[in-house]
Amino acid sequence: MMTLFSSPHLHGGNRSQRLMLLVLAAAMPGLLTQIYWFGYGTLFNVVWAILVGLLLEAGVLALRKRPLGFFLKDGSVIVTCLLLALALPPLAPWWLVTVATLFAVLFAKHLYGGLGNNPFNPAMAGYAICLIAFPASMTVWTSPEHYFDLAGQWQWFWQERGNIDAITQATPLDAMKHLQGKTINEMLSANPSVVHYADAMFWVNTAYLAGGLALLALKVFTWHAPGAMLASLGIMAGLFGAGEPDLYASFSDHLFLGATMLAAFFIITDPVTSATSRKGKLIFGAGIGILVYVIRTWGSYPDAFAFAVLLMNLSAPLIDQYSKPKAYGQQP
Amino acid sequence: MRKLFDFPGGVHPAQNKQQSNPGKVLELPLPQRLLVPLSQHIGAPAKPVVKVGEQVQKGQLIAQATGFISASVHAPSSGTISAIDAFPVAHASGLEAMCIELQTDGQDTWHQDIGSADANTLDDQQIRQRMQAAGIAGMGGAGFPSSAKLATDKPIHTLLINGVECEPYITADDTLMQVHSADIIAGANLLLRLLDQAKCIIVIEDNKPQAITVMQQAALEHTDIEILVIPTKYPSGGEKQLIENVTGKQVPKGGIPADLGILCQNVATVKAINDAVYLGQPSIERIVTVTGNGVKQPGNYRIRIGTSVDYVLQQCQAETHANPVILGGPMMGFQLPNTQVPLVKTSNCLIVPDPQELPGKDTSMACIRCGQCEVACPAQLLPQQLYWLAKSDAFDKIEQYNLMDCIECGACAYVCPSQIPLVQHYRYAKGMVRQQAAETRQAEHAKLRFESREQRLLDEVNAKEERRKARAAAAAAAQAAKRAENPGAEDPVAAAKARLAEKKAAEASAPPKKAAEVQVPANHKDLKTAAAIVRTKLKKASKAFADAQAAGHDNTDKLQAMVTELEQRSEAAAKALADFESNMGLDPEAEKLAQVAWAKANAQVRKLTKAAPDESASDTEKSEHQTALTAAQATLDQAKAHLDSIKNPSQEAKS
Repeated sequence: MMTLFSSPHLHGGNRSQRLMLLVLAAAMPGLLTQIYWFGYGTLFNVVWAILVGLLLEAGVLALRKRPLGFFLKDGSVIVTCLLLALALPPLAPWWLVTVATLFAVLFAKHLYGGLGNNPFNPAMAGYAICLIAFPASMTVWTSPEHYFDLAGQWQWFWQERGNIDAITQATPLDAMKHLQGKTINEMLSANPSVVHYADAMFWVNTAYLAGGLALLALKVFTWHAPGAMLASLGIMAGLFGAGEPDLYASFSDHLFLGATMLAAFFIITDPVTSATSRKGKLIFGAGIGILVYVIRTWGSYPDAFAFAVLLMNLSAPLIDQYSKPKAYGQQP
Repeated sequence: MRKLFDFPGGVHPAQNKQQSNPGKVLELPLPQRLLVPLSQHIGAPAKPVVKVGEQVQKGQLIAQATGFISASVHAPSSGTISAIDAFPVAHASGLEAMCIELQTDGQDTWHQDIGSADANTLDDQQIRQRMQAAGIAGMGGAGFPSSAKLATDKPIHTLLINGVECEPYITADDTLMQVHSADIIAGANLLLRLLDQAKCIIVIEDNKPQAITVMQQAALEHTDIEILVIPTKYPSGGEKQLIENVTGKQVPKGGIPADLGILCQNVATVKAINDAVYLGQPSIERIVTVTGNGVKQPGNYRIRIGTSVDYVLQQCQAETHANPVILGGPMMGFQLPNTQVPLVKTSNCLIVPDPQELPGKDTSMACIRCGQCEVACPAQLLPQQLYWLAKSDAFDKIEQYNLMDCIECGACAYVCPSQIPLVQHYRYAKGMVRQQAAETRQAEHAKLRFESREQRLLDEVNAKEERRKARAAAAAAAQAAKRAENPGAEDPVAAAKARLAEKKAAEASAPPKKAAEVQVPANHKDLKTAAAIVRTKLKKASKAFADAQAAGHDNTDKLQAMVTELEQRSEAAAKALADFESNMGLDPEAEKLAQVAWAKANAQVRKLTKAAPDESASDTEKSEHQTALTAAQATLDQAKAHLDSIKNPSQEAKS
């Protein structure tokens, strides 16, 4: 019996795996820059998270009686774990990475039906749960000045902690929020390490921006969500920063500090959990930009992408409902 | 240089057009058997006008168009009609449809009526007639009857001739333009003549340089015909996409190109129009691209309508055992489940790909809503949402997402990274939506029918009531008139009242009598009534007594007495009735018989009255009927008199 196929009989050769591989490749410059400035901790996180993630994915697929090879090779779990690990602090110990990955893969992804059915961005869900449960461990960022050697980082990863106070560091965004009566410039001149840190973050963000633009050029996603997010975050920063430049972090601070570019091109472009139409993606991205600014500036968390993304994930179905494109030939 | 617009979406699949060697028309030997479907177009199927065993000539009408949107069918060659029956036709499901089977005689002789004409001597009406008679249906694929398309009453300012041929592999139109450019231009001029005041644009994709050159040459002397080259992008040959590409305007939702003053025709259709008007030749052949790595002799073949796919593939030495056969292009064509089917007016391509060429799809993966389909969709839909809704059978909601605007071009499935057969899902959902709409229509229809029946019954009741009221009013009026005529007569109502008062006074003054004695019946009828009333009262009292006894009430002796009394009265009344009847010589049996006789006679009269011959009937008929009616009337009168006499013998005696 001949198998009948429905039209079209041609296929463009685009594959989900290709999309996932492109995303992985595009994240590499960011990963390398992060390692350069903050040490090998991030690399340990990435490798460990992917290992744990693949094991979990295989386990769940086996439990759900799905073909292992077929689904593992879609690469989606690797992307999720990579993005999660990039977002975690470089000095995150192994158990923190494990818990975050576990929550991302088991709870945020598979309990909702696996790839394509999860309403929340798994990486951000894993990140947020750890930020709430283990706030101290989640805010341990090394200063670029306290660069660890490979062995030191390895020890740290396995929880043989050294002197925490010596290496923890308030992130620049955090420092700009807690000015304690100083202006931003006074704070920066008093803390050269923050300036140094900000330089490092600038380069990391630039690396992610480059990778993101490459993905955009390869049409892995459209410009709508990242464009709208960067624009709304920039506008918010411009509006408030222009009024009180001494008290509010500037336009460029917001775009090039924290996880801005990683989020703009790698996190919020997750198609499964974002609004689906191009118009919807504009609203989705803009909403994230505004929420990020609000939480960064007036909230108690140093960065805000996890919460902003999860909140907008929640709104995505509603956005979809009200952002249907006009029918072809419909009169305005 | 004309400014070009774009249309939303679209994809750029590999062209694969060169292997079918565009620009050269190959001929095939005439097949022995041709199978001509009656429905090769959109609209009503044609109706056969030949019989099995009949000899037909090439070009002879064998099935007549039925209705406005329909197209006639002609014998593609000379020979004998061997069957008119259902045969499998080219359809993805292997559907059967009515076809005329023709065994060719090899002579291929034209029918004597087929002849060329000088268009200059024909008037517009004659040109339209020749076009319509030729049974031309849109040869680009949709098969809309061309004469119906042309009969629009909307003003047309632009005639768009579609030589885009945007699907990969197909080169039939490309070849046609290279070989028959003069015919296309002549056909276009014919259409321009009919459309009056319109200009013509022939649109060709830039991947057909030879065709463009040839057509430009042919159109050189015609200032009102422009050859427009557009960039290659699938599906720019879709009617709506073509219009937007050229004019920047979208055909209104639910509308047709004529709403924008545009008429679209495919190049092959225009060529067929030329042949119909100038040569008198009906639509009995077309150019079909036969291609794919599974074909040893690919090319563009001129085939007769009704030629079997199998025959064509054999002649082209195609390897069909291991390979599928696709009718149409690789984007919108469908795989034939059976190659023993005829090619029709809309068949433009046969592809026999080898397994590497058009590999069957991998098992599809989960939709990750990446939105690549949305970017590719030329109908500006949200294919990813349509897919979810179709998969969850949310047919009400899917219509809000304009599923029915999907043109099934396949661009979404072409780009889908998860290899989901999206178009298949949409076809399924469209079928379900149509089915639901049909069911809703049926339910609505049934409801309307029920409501109108209720209304009709109500109207009947009302009309009856009206008639009754009218009769009553007429009677009252007659009564009043009578009184007016005879003012001395007493008012009957007042008189009745007076009588009643008198009676009451008499009753009051007279000593109370026994009921049986009081009710001295005046006549037979009253006696009967009295007896019945007493019987009923007795029945009721007996029942009340029995109930009271059963319930164990006290004072049942009173009821007992009443029953006894009523029993006596009933007996008395029955006796009085019997006495009266025997006195008067009444016989209830005879009365019944008389009643039946009367009813029969009455029925006879009514029947005859109803069956009265109308004006056109002959005098004899009329007089016969009159005699019968008179006789029946006499019988009825007699029966009536007899019945009356039995009922009321005293009256008879009196009169």
